[in-house]
Amino acid sequence: MTPSRAPVGGHSRRTFLTLVGAGVVGSAALAGCRTGGSGSDAPSSSAGVASDDVLPAYLPLDYVEPDFPSVNGSTAGFATIPSELVQAYETPPGSGSTFTAMTPLWGAIPPTVGNQYYDAVNAAIGSTIEFQISDGNTYGDKLAAVLASADDVPDWVCIPTWNIPPRFDQAVESLFEDLTPFLAGDAVRSYPHLANIPTDVWRFCVFDGKLKALPFPGEIITDAIFYRDDVFEEEGITELPTTAEELLELCAELTNGRRWAANDLWNAATLIHGVVPKWRIEDDGTLTHRIETEEYRAALEWNARLFAQGSVHPDAVADNSGDAKARFESGQVLISSDGVGGWHEALARQLGSNPTYSQRPFPPVAADGGTPVLWKGNPANILSFIKATDDKDKVAEMLAVADFLAAPFGTTEYALINYGVEGVHYETDDQGLPVPTELAATELQPTYVFLADPPVVNAKVQYPGFVEAFCTWMADAAQYVQDPAFFGMQITEPNRFGSLNQPIEDLEKDISRGRRSIDDLDAAIETWRSSGGEELRQFYQDVLDAQ
Amino acid sequence: MTTVSTPTGPQTPALPVAPRRRPRNRHRPVWQEQPSLPGAVAKGLVLTLICLAVLFPLYTVVLTSISTQATITEAGGLVTVPGEITLAAYRQILAGGIVTRATMVSIGVTTVGTLLSTTVSVLCAYGLSRPSSLWHRPILFVLVITMFFSAGMIPTYLLVSGLGLIDTYWALILPGAVSAFNVLILRNFFMGLDPAITEAARIDGAGDWRILGRIVLPMSKAVVAVVALFYGVGYWNAFFNAMLYINDNAKWPLQLVLRSYVLQGVTLPGSGVGQVDVATGAVTGLPVKMAVMVLAVVPILVVYPFVQRHFTKGVIFGAVKG
Amino acid sequence: MTSSTTTVATAPEAVATAPRPQRSTPPLRRTVPLRTRWQRDRSLVVMTLPALLLLGVFAYVPMAGNIVAWQDYSPYVGIAESPFVAWDNFARVLGSPAFLHAVRNTLVITGFQLVFYFPIPIALALLLNSVLTPAIRTTIQSIVYLPHFFSWVLVVTIFQQMFGGAGLVNQILTRNGWGSFDLMTNPDTFLLLITSQAIWKDAGWGIIIFLAALSTVDPALYEASVVDGANRWRRMWHITLPALRPVVVLLLILRLGDALTVGFEQLILQRGAVGAQVSEVIDTFVYYQGVINGDWGFATAAGLMKGVISLLLVLGANKLAHAFGEAGVYQRA
Repeated sequence: MTPSRAPVGGHSRRTFLTLVGAGVVGSAALAGCRTGGSGSDAPSSSAGVASDDVLPAYLPLDYVEPDFPSVNGSTAGFATIPSELVQAYETPPGSGSTFTAMTPLWGAIPPTVGNQYYDAVNAAIGSTIEFQISDGNTYGDKLAAVLASADDVPDWVCIPTWNIPPRFDQAVESLFEDLTPFLAGDAVRSYPHLANIPTDVWRFCVFDGKLKALPFPGEIITDAIFYRDDVFEEEGITELPTTAEELLELCAELTNGRRWAANDLWNAATLIHGVVPKWRIEDDGTLTHRIETEEYRAALEWNARLFAQGSVHPDAVADNSGDAKARFESGQVLISSDGVGGWHEALARQLGSNPTYSQRPFPPVAADGGTPVLWKGNPANILSFIKATDDKDKVAEMLAVADFLAAPFGTTEYALINYGVEGVHYETDDQGLPVPTELAATELQPTYVFLADPPVVNAKVQYPGFVEAFCTWMADAAQYVQDPAFFGMQITEPNRFGSLNQPIEDLEKDISRGRRSIDDLDAAIETWRSSGGEELRQFYQDVLDAQ
Repeated sequence: MTTVSTPTGPQTPALPVAPRRRPRNRHRPVWQEQPSLPGAVAKGLVLTLICLAVLFPLYTVVLTSISTQATITEAGGLVTVPGEITLAAYRQILAGGIVTRATMVSIGVTTVGTLLSTTVSVLCAYGLSRPSSLWHRPILFVLVITMFFSAGMIPTYLLVSGLGLIDTYWALILPGAVSAFNVLILRNFFMGLDPAITEAARIDGAGDWRILGRIVLPMSKAVVAVVALFYGVGYWNAFFNAMLYINDNAKWPLQLVLRSYVLQGVTLPGSGVGQVDVATGAVTGLPVKMAVMVLAVVPILVVYPFVQRHFTKGVIFGAVKG
Repeated sequence: MTSSTTTVATAPEAVATAPRPQRSTPPLRRTVPLRTRWQRDRSLVVMTLPALLLLGVFAYVPMAGNIVAWQDYSPYVGIAESPFVAWDNFARVLGSPAFLHAVRNTLVITGFQLVFYFPIPIALALLLNSVLTPAIRTTIQSIVYLPHFFSWVLVVTIFQQMFGGAGLVNQILTRNGWGSFDLMTNPDTFLLLITSQAIWKDAGWGIIIFLAALSTVDPALYEASVVDGANRWRRMWHITLPALRPVVVLLLILRLGDALTVGFEQLILQRGAVGAQVSEVIDTFVYYQGVINGDWGFATAAGLMKGVISLLLVLGANKLAHAFGEAGVYQRA
């Protein structure tokens, strides 16, 4: 599965760029960043069939009991910050070496010299990590260049899945260390925090049958359809839609001359209709591509009706996704789909000036009112790789450091990495919550976390009621989660199939906006099949048969 | 020719009519006729409209950069009506001294780069400016080719890395030091100079270096200023090479640092509630984006008038003097 | 309007500020021995060396990487090891019906902008030049260039907030019951939209080169022409425009060479709004079909073909310029 293409992942690279507001790199001569694949057609060489032998044992570890435990894999939550933190490491795991590490950054660049955060963490881990922080928005270009020049590859490289460069399968073999001997099975017991990471997540770190990466774990549900429950309440809307039809009616009702019901709900439409991320395995073992499914067609028809009835904000019709959040938070639209992480970010922005601001995700809806289907998201979205070396002690030291970095919520290690030094980067308020100082904004940016991170928990107690609302919603939604075909597998497609998708994406926008009719879908599917779709199907069929 | 003729207005024999109506513009050369009233009104109107079309969006950008989140939420985007004002975005960007150091880096790179590029380009342009000089056609061809055939990012990276320029400021200057476009512009102006003057100097025994330094350059201040401006703005705005070639964050130029503020608060694809957001006190989104836009332009605003002097002196000034 | 530049170029009685191509040169060149020419032009050749050196190293050496146009290239395997595929990549580019469509869109946009965008900075420069009060002139000049420094994202956002379906103009229209329109999502007016955006962003910046050209005019010429009884119209025709002519011709030729390149970022940002049908151009096609998939061979092959066509266009335009008696980029040999 090409990770960045997976629709459950939330945003395609392009939407992400627009979100970032920095547009697209302005030259066709520059490298691309979407996953493509190898030139070799043999699926055996690139298929990510993970033999369970290479996966680390899963040894869950609870330093503190969550108030909202995980249900069916949902994110666990903490209603309060534990007053006593556990110190997992008595002595620093590192043995004084210095490593270079390249990580992306979505935030203000911190100072490298005299940075108390770096100094404190490096002292605590017992090794010095020298960061080469790179602009997150152009990180794919940087990666493409650096990976092509083996000498320039730093000891530790963070690679977000949406930045995995084309033909990465050829790079990963020679450039990066095979971690299987260090972590597979019971070997992982030397690294208890890494053993605390679920098997599904590790499965996603397997390239070519070998454990190659360390994960930044994600959540099983990545996207939701949000609505402004505060405004709904004001207007006396209490009935939430339970079918696709009802949602359309609600949208029509919410739209008036000065306000529109929604942003572009294409992603929401695929959620409601349970459109598979990429393939569906039929009972007879054959594969159906998502665009060939009835669900896909229905979702597209539904979205086109939404646009046609005038419920979509004109700026969203103009495909301006950069300001989608601003439209939603300002109440210009009341329904919008977003990544689940967008929820608390909106609260962070809005609660300061508007304490009554509130948004909620709709409980999962099935188009026909039946049982909803949610497809499980990528178990990890950001991976880190260790440069291949003959010095196995060095690898072991780096893994020990990674284990420190993966210390879960409730440990002093977690607090240090995420909040910095108490009294310098944060003060503790009466809720026990770390309140960042001004210095934190300058010095403390997420860097270490991109090398290894514990499983996700929700401890955002600073937003009243948020943790409970979030965890109960996800615990409920988690019952509908299913594994999509080829779940958790790193499959690199031959890159001649890479261009199949763009015409489809264009068609989705065209049909939604009424520039083309749903009837054009059949022709587009035919074109897709004849210009490589059938071969792609065969490619995946071979992967499936090899399993 | 319509676009060209509008500004000057209808061609009335204006001389006898106008002087009584309005006082004579002291900047008008004696030989120039008074403009007709409709002509002047039309011109004023067009210019006012043009300025407004630029100033209004500019105003919303600046206003948004100093508005509070509440005001921006209310406006649902760029702010057009002033609400609460705050300098938080600017304070945040300028705190910590990183921007200051990056500004020094950018000024250094821009100065050295502009000097180098302009010098090399002027030399090259002059070297090609005499028709039929030795090898000038093949050399021109070599130049023009570079305008249409580019090297890919990866080969260029491998070259820069191979030359040991990674993490040096030269990596920000050398790869794009010569723009064939600018050389052609310079050459075009040099060729427009009256050949009689240079010919006279040559007969007096002056060599080409001397002719360039003593005659051609002083007569071409305007175009050299324009080309230097093109190069300067290019170096100042560039971030991509720095992103590729500079690993040491302490050596980042201003544009790259400013971009990092724009990215603050971005929701990562697929990121969930676990995504670290330590700097929750940070100003994010529109005000920071707009503040960055403003800060990036300020140095250009400062420098532009000095450069502008060189390419606007001309007809009118000369005429007043004469 | 189209004709303005060409008319200018042919105005035969214009005051000649540009040297005519020297017809006496060819015979001269054949008779003068290389050694003499070298001695005569040595310093000129030496002057071009620094630029040639820089271009040689930083443009030509990596340009050798374009060989991947004939390969199924992978940066991790390297050029030496990547398999050669002959003209496959070129065939794939040309064989796609979407490509021909993109070429058509590109040419339509270029053609439209050549007519409606290219002359604007010239007109604006002339207009500004006619403002007599220096304070006003400098002020206006210091304002109009500013949008050049805005990113395309911001420019598109600003247009959206002004002319979008929920924009300022529409708010006023609907408030007064005058109906509404949506300029931003209308494929039929897309050409107009992107050209307006380009004008707003870059026309003010584009004028400075023409101002530089205008500043080279000797004021004595104006005085002399007034003495000869020329009115302002005739002065513009015979003095001002001819001074602009060489640079206008040069820019026109270079723009033609760039005919296959139109606002990549601007178009990608608005692709969803109007659809690929009208917004797909060569660069976006190559981006989506090659670059983002790491199909380096495909992208490079497309780039090479573009380069060859651009070069031919420039050479052709240059020939045309010669036919009109202009110097252009090259001299007539």
